[in-house]
Amino acid sequence: MNIMISILSHWLIALTLAPLFIGIIAKIKAFFAGKKGPSLFQPYYDLQRLFQKNSVYSRTTTWVFRCAPIVNLAAVLVLSLLVPLGPFKAPLQFPGDIFFAAYILGLARFFMIIAALDTGASFEGMGASREAFFSCLSELALFMNFITLALLTHSISLSSMIGADIPMSWKLMGPTLLLVAGSFFIVILTENCRIPIDDPDTHLELTMIHEVMILDHSGIDLGYMLYASALKLFVFAGILLPIIIPIQMANPVIDMLIFLSSMLGLSVVVGMVESTMARYRLNRVKNLLLISFALAFFGFVVKMWRG
Amino acid sequence: MCAGIYALGYMRPYKAKRPMGLHIFFYGLLSSALALILLANNAILFLGAWEMMTLSAYFLILFHDDDPTVRRAGFLYLIASHCGTFLLILMFFLMAHHAGSMNLDIISHTGFSPFLAGIIFLLALFGFGVKAGLIPIHIWLPHAHPAAPSHVSAVLSGVMIKMGIYGICRVIWTVGVFPDWCGYLLLTVGVVSGVMGVLYALGQHELKRLLAYHSIENIGIITLGLGVGLLGKTYHMPFLSVLGFGGALLHVLNHALFKGLLFLGAGAVIQKTHTGEIDQMGGLAKLMPLVSFLFLVGALAICGLPLFNGFISEFIIYFGLFHGLLHLPLQGALACALGIIALALMGSLALACFTKVYGTVFLGEARHHLKVSGKTSSLMLIPMLVLGGLCLWIGLFPQTMAKGAFLGGAYLAHTDFLSFDMGRVFSPLSYIISTVFLFLVLVVFLMVLRRILLKGLPLPVAGTWSCGYSQVTPKIQYTSSSFARPIVEFVRGILFFKRVGPDVKGDFPAKTSMASSVHDAAEELLFKPVYRRLTSLSKKLDINRIRYTQMYLMYIFLYLIFLLAWKLK
Repeated sequence: MNIMISILSHWLIALTLAPLFIGIIAKIKAFFAGKKGPSLFQPYYDLQRLFQKNSVYSRTTTWVFRCAPIVNLAAVLVLSLLVPLGPFKAPLQFPGDIFFAAYILGLARFFMIIAALDTGASFEGMGASREAFFSCLSELALFMNFITLALLTHSISLSSMIGADIPMSWKLMGPTLLLVAGSFFIVILTENCRIPIDDPDTHLELTMIHEVMILDHSGIDLGYMLYASALKLFVFAGILLPIIIPIQMANPVIDMLIFLSSMLGLSVVVGMVESTMARYRLNRVKNLLLISFALAFFGFVVKMWRG
Repeated sequence: MCAGIYALGYMRPYKAKRPMGLHIFFYGLLSSALALILLANNAILFLGAWEMMTLSAYFLILFHDDDPTVRRAGFLYLIASHCGTFLLILMFFLMAHHAGSMNLDIISHTGFSPFLAGIIFLLALFGFGVKAGLIPIHIWLPHAHPAAPSHVSAVLSGVMIKMGIYGICRVIWTVGVFPDWCGYLLLTVGVVSGVMGVLYALGQHELKRLLAYHSIENIGIITLGLGVGLLGKTYHMPFLSVLGFGGALLHVLNHALFKGLLFLGAGAVIQKTHTGEIDQMGGLAKLMPLVSFLFLVGALAICGLPLFNGFISEFIIYFGLFHGLLHLPLQGALACALGIIALALMGSLALACFTKVYGTVFLGEARHHLKVSGKTSSLMLIPMLVLGGLCLWIGLFPQTMAKGAFLGGAYLAHTDFLSFDMGRVFSPLSYIISTVFLFLVLVVFLMVLRRILLKGLPLPVAGTWSCGYSQVTPKIQYTSSSFARPIVEFVRGILFFKRVGPDVKGDFPAKTSMASSVHDAAEELLFKPVYRRLTSLSKKLDINRIRYTQMYLMYIFLYLIFLLAWKLK
């Protein structure tokens, strides 16, 4: 019973806060562009609007196309249970949950890609092909980071890998953690299709990846997709934050405040990156991803070198 | 078994055209040879059964024997297998010579010196590796699988190449103690086979050839697991070696299930469209919904995604690798880190490859006007249903099978099964299973929610929008080659990627054509030059050839006299 309550409360927090994170990033970008920008709550309005609309389906599509948004959202919801959110411990933690996390995301990706191919359009095929390629590279960086974190904390459960041992590691293995954090930040930008890898705001350029895959989804299906990507960004941020800011007070209220303010800080950083950088040309994206892998790899080397 | 029932349905069109009796006879012979290999306790018996398996499989591959490519593939298979068998005879000879008996039980009680154990290990790795399809001695495999009828490919890929793995396991068990480098070598071979196998698969656009390369990838994963097990044995960590061996054994079973399913599905597709070219297909999901669904099950399972059996065995191998990473000394930890990275890479590349296959074959619109005919008979569907069901069953309730695999792993590792703390693996597994069920509940909930929210709203059906780009033809769709192109171009340094055709020039380019293909580097760079050398060498020797039978008889006579003299001395 207890676990049910903690699962539901975890979902409640994640689902209510995730769109706000997107809203803050949009606000920061508007500020840098010298504009007023949409309200912080615009993502909520968008979702509400989409949930009330009906969907249009292409003649070409099959059940796979309708299934993909559901699988995607469900997979990200399950993933969110493995990640601690401030004072709320992850409801599910067991040795080896990192593989499960990576592979459940893989399941979502599988359905996203085949749904894009299901439309039979070359535009969507392009996005699907790029997604398949770049995810290979970002997965490499992700697992390299997992290896380093596992060596630092002697654990293969996500919650303890980013848990109590991290402050100690900063003292002993500062450079390694710095490299891991840098690498993981690029992984976050890739997995959540942010600039400089991908642009979440346009889909008419020839450089986009994620947005073009969901081009033909509409109405509630699109709502599921957008909710899932907001949630994914939130959850990934939830993994990175305990590494950067490993402060845990015993007081849940203070912890929650620390968590929220660091979330705010991270979204400001993401917003600044998006405002000050241009999107990379497509053939240079892989270099960035390889840099991410290289950072993770050097983190591993430093760890191995110094014991 | 399942493949046999499927064969009844698949072969129906060929009845009266082909010698069916012969085919069925060799099918039965292959099955009994496979059983005999597993039961053999004597080196001679083992080799005999091994040959029986090789030859009956050869005749099964040659079903379409009027096609020259099929004959060539069969011949290549025969040569490769016999090179392997040659090494095996050497290996058994060494073992028997040392132990003084052909009985494998007696051999297993003899101790081997590290040098001899190393030699035996190398011979076994190459001898059995040919059959298993380890890179770079895999070259028969991508030729033989597409040439054989689909149910034969299913058996070849599902069971016969596993005999190579079984052989390696048998040697590991029999010899017992190996020098340190053996574990590292096995792990490295697994990594190379796995990653290269899946990369080659990405470059293929012939359905069964692609699946054949995926067999190489999965053999790589299995070998990786065996390597982890052997490392555990070297460093006296029974937990690690049981994890490695157990994961590998479970993956053997799982691969047989999902690869069988995929080959049978491919057979149904080929029967329907009369082609194996992925790039010409499309939109088959509407024509054959059940086959496409079952193929999706197989594809998800082979990518190692949760819900299905592939995830369970990969999870166990990951678990072993991370255990090794944290507890082995430096070089062992480095090897495990390499294994983890390689396994992650294989996973994501397999995902890219199977989204490509599923998306281009079953989804979208047909790219060419294929003559679609025939109905998939229920005799073909039922075996596929059984295999798909088993994939799901092991994926959702893995305890029984995993326990069996660990028993086998403990046996291979020469440790007491009771001392193996299964709870350390089973408690995460049970967590995973409950999470997967939670995931399923969520999926159902979201479906219901969608249904409720859409209640009463019309669901219009239109053409694909795609930013309002109109006047499209199905030919403009992404093909499997264009889908895989970024990855293939990225690794073109290690693949043998060929692109024929001019670049597009000018504002209104003229009609042009382009073809790209990925060739096997091992075949092009390793075997073809060797073969060319051999041919030229034998041409040179040809000059000295004697053309009289009498001369041969004289040579034989002289040799006999030499032997006599040598013996009498």
